[in-house]
Amino acid sequence: MSAVAPTVSAPSAPRQSGSWATVAAQMFGADFLKLRRKRGILIWALVLAFAPLVIYFVVSVIQHSSNPVKHGPAGGAKNFAEGLPVLALFFGPLAAILIGVEAGTGDASAGVFRDLVVTGRSRLALFASRVPAALALCCLVIGGAYALLVIGTFVFASNLPTPDAAVVLNSLGFALVATGALCVVAVGLAALTTSKPGAIIALIAWQVVASPIIAHISSLGSARELLLSQSLAHFSPVHVEGGHGATVVLSEGTALLALVAWLAVFLALGAWRTRTMDA
Amino acid sequence: MSSPVDASTATPAVSEQVDSGLAIETTGLTKRFGARTALDGIDLRVPRGSAFGFLGPNGAGKTTIIRTLLGLTGANAGTMKILGRPVPLERGQALRRVGAIVEEPRFHPNLSGRENLRLVAAVRGPETRARIEPALARVGLSDRAENKVKSYSMGMRQRLGVARCLLADPLLLILDEPTNGLDPGGIQEFREMIRAMVEQEGRTVFISSHLLDEVEKTCDAAAIVDRGKVIVQGPIAELAQGGGVRNELILSVDDVELALTTLGASELVGDARRSDEGLRVELVGDPQTASEVNATLVRAGVGVMRLEPVRHSLEQRFLEVTSRLDAKPATETAKEVKT
Repeated sequence: MSAVAPTVSAPSAPRQSGSWATVAAQMFGADFLKLRRKRGILIWALVLAFAPLVIYFVVSVIQHSSNPVKHGPAGGAKNFAEGLPVLALFFGPLAAILIGVEAGTGDASAGVFRDLVVTGRSRLALFASRVPAALALCCLVIGGAYALLVIGTFVFASNLPTPDAAVVLNSLGFALVATGALCVVAVGLAALTTSKPGAIIALIAWQVVASPIIAHISSLGSARELLLSQSLAHFSPVHVEGGHGATVVLSEGTALLALVAWLAVFLALGAWRTRTMDA
Repeated sequence: MSSPVDASTATPAVSEQVDSGLAIETTGLTKRFGARTALDGIDLRVPRGSAFGFLGPNGAGKTTIIRTLLGLTGANAGTMKILGRPVPLERGQALRRVGAIVEEPRFHPNLSGRENLRLVAAVRGPETRARIEPALARVGLSDRAENKVKSYSMGMRQRLGVARCLLADPLLLILDEPTNGLDPGGIQEFREMIRAMVEQEGRTVFISSHLLDEVEKTCDAAAIVDRGKVIVQGPIAELAQGGGVRNELILSVDDVELALTTLGASELVGDARRSDEGLRVELVGDPQTASEVNATLVRAGVGVMRLEPVRHSLEQRFLEVTSRLDAKPATETAKEVKT
């Protein structure tokens, strides 16, 4: 160990702590760095977001080329409407859950949470910086997959009509909101449970298995409006049907309220746990 | 989680009045895990600008007090001050100039050493980033800073942990078993670094350890803790001597009876008795009177083959204090040498 010494200033010496925005930006950058360098999670998120669309287009192109009469072109507005829920409501959320859970538990599972706590920075700030970082990575992954969907829609459209610019933009917003919401819920749940496998299994089981089943139990009536999957599907700019989405008819306000409630509850639980747990 | 210390009643709210010259000050600090009391009314005073050892056997409560001080877990009762600021009331301000390694240093293994420091620098504030390179240089990791931490040895992780502490430009370093995993050369370098921090830079270093030799060689003062209680605390030399200054000699002589008679008549000697090593002589005055004792014996016709000052070791004292606890309740042995 050589003798390059950081200087010790007097205890009462004024210290620059930077503006709130600067600190927040740096903490966001740090959390984003942690996530993007988590190669295993990133690869799985990319696979989950891209692979279903690639397979969808490849299979459709092969079918169309082998029997053009029976199978139409792989692109166009109709295939776009089928591909969008696959990305926004099924496989995209799986990618978002992986990213969100990693953001929520990464520090604790690496054992560095306590080292961040001993900096004196508030635990709420430590929790809060994870959310935009997870959202940023989620948006990049889903945005990339969405670009693939749009490219495939236009390249393989042949003589079919294509979605107009408004639908393309609205659908992008929908995909980002639908997956981003799951990502935020995952951050909160993971911080609450501090268990990566537990949070992943619970969220996937709820969103992919339990929610569609519950949505089809008509005897539950309006209670089904509280399902996150239903409120998210409500915002789709293209018609969503079948097991992936809108089984329950919701009003705009109810859908928005349900979505906000899910986000608020899980963010609050994650923040509470981060603030109170032994580090 | 246990309820935190009631800061509003436990500590003064005005920071200006609490800069007492102590880096760490606790009063009656108590921490319970269910029915088990991990910290039992700890009163600890760590002077600024010193290396302070916190000694105790495994499970004595060393790490618990560090975790409590740093706000990693809450206390059930008592008051705490770090660098004169009450915690948890002013925890954020108190910890701005504190660097700490709690248990083993942990990092994101898939990031490089430099990136791991960047993460902490981002949390500490913009001014911290400029300290990354000096800190890496100081611990000798500049050349390996771009390597992923998962390729680091335990010793390198310890060094990186110290570098992470230095990002705070710390007035107080709290190090929990810091020499774990270091080879002998690394331990020596570490010891020198700690002494330089204290002597040249005026920092306070609080070292928790069960390695007596380590604390004795590195620290100016220490506290011995066992079963959640501070048993003794004070300067190392005083601790080793059991609270009072005892200057003792071991003598080998050719005529033991004549020597005992001569020493018994000398005003320089408080006590003289046979021991396994020869004669054990307790001096009344300072250690320099040993030469006069020697001259007295020689004048009386006693041949002195060996005259050696007794070196009281902290280990001796540590074993004495902690083993005594096995026989008596801790409260009976609690004794403060110096606060």
